This record gives sequence, structure tokens and C-alpha cells, in this order.
Amino acid sequence: MLTIRSLQTGYGKVQILRGVDMTVPEGRIVALLGGNGTGKSTLLKAVSGLLPVWDGTIEFNGEEIQNRKPNVIVRRGLTQVTQGKDMYPAMTVEENLRIGAYTRSNRAEVAADMDKVYDYFPVLGERRRQLAATLSGGEVQMLVVGRGLMANPKLIMLDEPSSALAPRVVLDIFRNVKRINRNEGITILLVEQNVRMALLLAEYGYVIRDGVIHIEGDSRDLISDDNVRLAYLGGTVADAGAELAH
Amino acid sequence: MGLLLDFIIVGLSIGIVYGLVALGISLIFSGLDIVHFAHGEVYMIGAFLGIAIVSISGVPYFGALVGAMIVTGVVGVVIERVFYRRLTRGGGGYTVAGMGMIICGFGMSVALQNVAYLIWGAAPHPYPVSFGMPIFLGNIALPKSYLYILVSALILMVVLHTFLTRTKLGLAVRAVAYNKDTSYLMGVNVPVMISLIFGVACAMAAVAGVLIGPINYVQIEMGYLMLLKAFAAAVVGGFGSLPGALLGGVVVGLFETLCAGYLIASYKDIYAFLLLIVVLMVRPTGLLGIIVKVKA
Repeated sequence: MLTIRSLQTGYGKVQILRGVDMTVPEGRIVALLGGNGTGKSTLLKAVSGLLPVWDGTIEFNGEEIQNRKPNVIVRRGLTQVTQGKDMYPAMTVEENLRIGAYTRSNRAEVAADMDKVYDYFPVLGERRRQLAATLSGGEVQMLVVGRGLMANPKLIMLDEPSSALAPRVVLDIFRNVKRINRNEGITILLVEQNVRMALLLAEYGYVIRDGVIHIEGDSRDLISDDNVRLAYLGGTVADAGAELAH
Repeated sequence: MGLLLDFIIVGLSIGIVYGLVALGISLIFSGLDIVHFAHGEVYMIGAFLGIAIVSISGVPYFGALVGAMIVTGVVGVVIERVFYRRLTRGGGGYTVAGMGMIICGFGMSVALQNVAYLIWGAAPHPYPVSFGMPIFLGNIALPKSYLYILVSALILMVVLHTFLTRTKLGLAVRAVAYNKDTSYLMGVNVPVMISLIFGVACAMAAVAGVLIGPINYVQIEMGYLMLLKAFAAAVVGGFGSLPGALLGGVVVGLFETLCAGYLIASYKDIYAFLLLIVVLMVRPTGLLGIIVKVKA
């Protein structure tokens, strides 16, 4: 569904991505993993159109979308869910969700999708008239995921949903991401620093380092990969895995 | 007692005019991250355009108001697109503009003043409208132009508030004002929205110009003092806050009119800045500037 070939980009004259290749097949959950400053966010910005692409191609649904404007790309069905801090604090929860549906004009469908978001995240429904500034960190993350859903996307790119959240809250959000993937058939590209958590959710993972894909493979293989384990994983994954299973 | 009421009505009307210009300055600041130093000249151009339109035979004062709004709005969009946007990051966003933008604003202010000089000359122009007899409230004679200011401002406020809170486009304007990149990702056409914000802010200044025209003369240097007063109003109300801009305008207008009335009238222009200094000392965020927007 999303195919990136030898993508190169950066800021000003500073090159960040030095030829990234990756594929996100339809209906799957794929993780892009890496530490701070490895190029994860840069890749997302390039794909969603906020950053010009220097070289390489980005193909979405059979169409090349590199260097299109963000407002055009989102209409193709590719939505980026930014980090929680990028919600609109001075707007109500419902207004935040309505902005997510900015590209759509069918009011009945939008209303139905809003109910769906409240279904996934009931706490948002309870707080629909509250200002987003009053939400907790976990609720804000739910809000930005819900806002992404409101665009009726085919693929959601999730930018570090686990950042600055308690593990229990992250599990809850990941569980809902999995439900969204399964029930709505929405493909997910999960970008994470929290490698262990991400590999529990995703089926396939790419590890990015210094602007190139360093390692890739099935999540099961990556978790047991010595390099990945040494670099990114400490301790065992069994306990967290058991918790996600139910 | 009658005198006090008179001062209050005059101060309120002048204050609303300050507030309208301040509203535009606040709108541009919160939406585009520009402190627009040429806004006083936009107000002056708006006032002159109002005269030009009302001089066409058969056009009523209200028509001039709406006409000046539209034409000035378009002029504003052209100024922003042709000059200011070149200074911004990649010509698309407004994140890194800084000092260059401020200098450009000052330059635009001088340029607009000279363009106005070439077209209309340096002499003060009276507004060619007559509102007929003043209204009498007891023993106070109230010129109808003040009534026009109050009514127009009220209508404008209701329309703007409804637009910003009830419509999808208004929601997008607020979203762009808060975070351009995120709004772009939501599918909002941010470059167009920036033009819209700038145009609306300039239209607002034109309304102020046309409303104050019948009270004062219109001349090419009228923008300078208005800019300072409107800045004072915006800061007093809380910079970047739209209700604050209007409130600040009213507070500044009332304060300076009352002080000029009861203290020394020739110091009229000092009082506004005295108030500004006091407010900055006591409450640096301004009256309604509770949430300080932190720019990333």
C-alpha cells in the first residue's frame, strides 16, 4: 500500500535520510523503530508532504505522492497522527475531532465516525465539550488517534504514541490501535522509540539508524535478534506480552 | 452628569475603532506570527477607499463601509502574497520570519503612505457624508456617526464570532492560528487560509477607517498614531487574544477620553500609553491574556 524507494531528504543543506527503502502492505501493522535523531520524524514529514523530498519515490495506493502538498495527500487516504502535544488545546474535544474531518463534506458519515471514535475511546465522549487542554496525557493521545480516524484514512502513520505515557496507558492505546486495524481494515505505520512495545503490536519492523534502514524483519525475529536486543531492548518481553494478549 | 455620559459615549466609540484595528493586529499575530507594523497604513488606505466609494453618486455610507472592507481586504491579500510571504520559510509557512518581517512591515508602512500621497495628496479630506441631525438624549446631542460606530461594531463582532466558532472555515482559521503544520496534515489548505486571515484583518482596519472618517478628517498620516493606540489596546487586552483586543480598545478609548475630559485635554495622546505602562507593570499578560501561547 505504501512503498518508499531510496528516499533522501533533510533540512536546509543537512541531509537526514540517506536512501530509505520500506514497504507497508495493506491491512498490516508495520513498525519503524529507532532512537532520537535517527530520522523517524523526518521520514514521516517527507511522506505526509511537510518536507520536500530530495530524491527517491513514495508510492501510495499505486500513485506517486512525493512532493505533493499535505492537504492533497491526506485526501488520498494517508493520515499522519502527530504526537499528542499537537492537539488544539483551546478547542473542545469535539472541535478537535471535527478538524480531523476537515476534508470530508458528508455530515452524516462524519457524525457516524465521531460516534465510532467515542466508541473506541469512551472517555473522549464523556469529555466532548471540554477543552482539550484539560485532558490527561493518555486522553490527549487518544484524541489525536481519534482525530486521525476522522479523516477516514486508508493508512494511519502514528508518531510515537507511547511518548511520555505510563506503560498501562500505552497498552490501552495500542490495544485500541489493534482493534482499529482489525475492525476498520486501516493499515498502520507505527513509529516508535519504545521498541519492545512497538514490536508487540506490529507484525513487521524496520530499524532506522543514521538515516538508513539498519535491520528489518518479522517482529518475532527482531525481538530475539541479538543486535536489536542489545541496542534497544533491556529485560524480557514476556510479561508485557502477556498483558497485551488479553 | 450629562458631560460624563457624553464622554463615555465618545470614548466607547473611539475605543471600538481602536479595538477593530487591534483585532486585526491580534488576528495577524496569532495566525501568522507577524507583528504587523503597516496596519495603521492599511487603516488609512481603507478610510480613503471609503471616501472614493462614497463619492460615487448613489452609494450610501453603509455601501462604502462594505465596499472599503472588500477592496482593502483584497489589497491586504496582495500585499501579503507579493511581499511578506517571500520572507517566510519556503514561501509556505510562517515559522521563521523574525526581524526581516518586522523591517518589511515598516517598509510597507512608508511605501503605503507614499502611494496614498501620490493618489490623494497631503491635504486632509473631509468625509463627504451627512448623517443629518444629531440624536438628542435628554440634553445631550449625539452625532449619528457615533451610533454608526456602535451598531457596525456590534454587527461585525457577532459575524466574526459566529464565523470563528460555528463554521468549518472558522474552525480551520483557529486551527491554523494555533498550529500550521498539524492543520496542514488535517487537510486544511494553510497557504490559502493565511491569505484569508490577512485579508479579514485588513478588512477590519478598513471598517475602522471608514467609521472614524466622519468624526476626524482623513489624511495620509492618520495611520501612525492609530497603530500606536491599537498596539496599546492589543497589549492592554492581552496580545493575540481577539476578545482582549476589543476590550483593550474600549478600555484605552474610555480612559483617554475621560482623562482628556477631566484632566488636561492637550495630553490626550499620552494617557493611552500611560495606561499601557501601568498594565504592563501590574499584569504583563494583559487583561484577557491568560493563556500565553508558546511558540515552538
